[in-house]
Amino acid sequence: MGAVTDDEVIRKRLLIDGDGAGDDRRINLLVKSFIKWCNSGSQEEGYSQYQRMLSTLSQCEFSMGKTLLVYDMNLREMENYEKIYKEIECSIAGAHEKIAECKKQILQAKRIRKNRQEYDALAKVIQHHPDRHETLRELESLGKELEHLSHIKESVEDKLELRRKQFHVLLSTIHELQQTLENDEKLSEVEEAQEASIETDPKP
Amino acid sequence: MHPRGADYLVDRRCTDFPSSNHLPPQSRAGDHNGRVAEYILRKLVPKNLGPKKPVVTFQAHDGPVYSMVSTDRHLLSAGDGEVKAWLWAEILKKGCKELWQRQPPYRTSLEVPEINALLLVPKENSLILAGGDCQLHTMDLETGTFTRALRGHTDYVHCLALRERSPEVLSGGEDGAVRLWDLRTAKEVQTIEVCKHEECSRPHNGRWIGCLATDSDWMVCGGGPALTLWHLRSSTPTTIFPIRAPQKHVTFYQDLILSAGQGLCVNQWQLSGELKAQVPGSSLGLLSLSLNQQPAAPECKVLTDTGNSCRMDVFTNLGYRAFPLSF
Repeated sequence: MGAVTDDEVIRKRLLIDGDGAGDDRRINLLVKSFIKWCNSGSQEEGYSQYQRMLSTLSQCEFSMGKTLLVYDMNLREMENYEKIYKEIECSIAGAHEKIAECKKQILQAKRIRKNRQEYDALAKVIQHHPDRHETLRELESLGKELEHLSHIKESVEDKLELRRKQFHVLLSTIHELQQTLENDEKLSEVEEAQEASIETDPKP
Repeated sequence: MHPRGADYLVDRRCTDFPSSNHLPPQSRAGDHNGRVAEYILRKLVPKNLGPKKPVVTFQAHDGPVYSMVSTDRHLLSAGDGEVKAWLWAEILKKGCKELWQRQPPYRTSLEVPEINALLLVPKENSLILAGGDCQLHTMDLETGTFTRALRGHTDYVHCLALRERSPEVLSGGEDGAVRLWDLRTAKEVQTIEVCKHEECSRPHNGRWIGCLATDSDWMVCGGGPALTLWHLRSSTPTTIFPIRAPQKHVTFYQDLILSAGQGLCVNQWQLSGELKAQVPGSSLGLLSLSLNQQPAAPECKVLTDTGNSCRMDVFTNLGYRAFPLSF
């Protein structure tokens, strides 16, 4: 366990500050100068060394403060990215739904187009046939003509019947007259014959 | 979620997708030599873009396989005069045996007509077969008995389609007529003589109706005569699609009509007769298309096509060919 963390620590330190320039060296220098200051003799040197140590310390603090700020910033960036990621996921899901909606709409539109085309196809066929009103009018006029003609036919037939009957009457009267004339002739012949026999009879 | 499987026929006939819940996405193809091969479509993201090989191939029929159709648990394949059923779950194991095999009653026992088309009627749980004997036979899938034989065609039947709203079946055949049969009364309800209409008949190609598709009010048929859209209630041809090559398979999809025939491409038409797109496939002449549209597996929504070569194409997006499979 200890070996692992040591490795990690060494790796991290090498990554961050491999060449020894920067904070690590500063801290080592500080420790060395502290020891030197403790062992120093004169007042002035000690004071200047003290000032120098304070400045090194403040430099170290400054760089630490900077790293802390950077760390904060990274954390906040991470949060920001998480937020954006979630938003994008939501919008992807929304887009999926919209796509499904649009697909349904496409199907609907296709059905409508199909219906329109069927309508058009039938309309084309219907256009070939003549207009219904005209045909009705023609039918009416034809019907009227037909009626008229049938009236005429009836009246002509009636007249024909009448004339036939009249001729019939005429012919039958003529026949009767003939008959009567023939009868009359026969009667007159018979009378003449009787008269002739009466004339010959009184002679003896 | 278990995606649904797909099966299709290569090298001449149909492709079909089973509506099974329990299997990984598979495709199947049957061919002229009677073999049926099966592929598994995983996620439709191919690792290499080269052609894929089938997972299982087995000899289904002694003769050619003309048509296939699938239900939840079975695959039905039809060849010369007989229909065989196979269980999807068993097919993955080697050496599977057919579940049952039936022959519809033919007029003479010497006739062995080919069964060109199979159609499932899910409401009645029955299967309709039609083929070389010019009749449509209905078979109940539970009992296996042949219930009706619809006669009326004068020449053999090529294709069948189901009209969902009124339970009617449309059949198109070599005699150039599309006949509508009512399944409840077992009678012919309507006949559309496609070859007699001048706008769409092309006598130099013949009168045969190679493909049929219906959308309850509308019907598309093609083959010898030009590919035409008909309005069924008035039996009038409304749009003629300007393509010279006879089309062998046609289907409705969303607001488009997909057709495939002689010629490299799968054609996408709008109902007004405009060609929206032509997507080239791998075979020089295409014979069959199949769409997997079952709602349980939307990621397996593919179109496959097959034709005169040993390759089949899978389209994930109708605009381009995703990858080929080889038989």
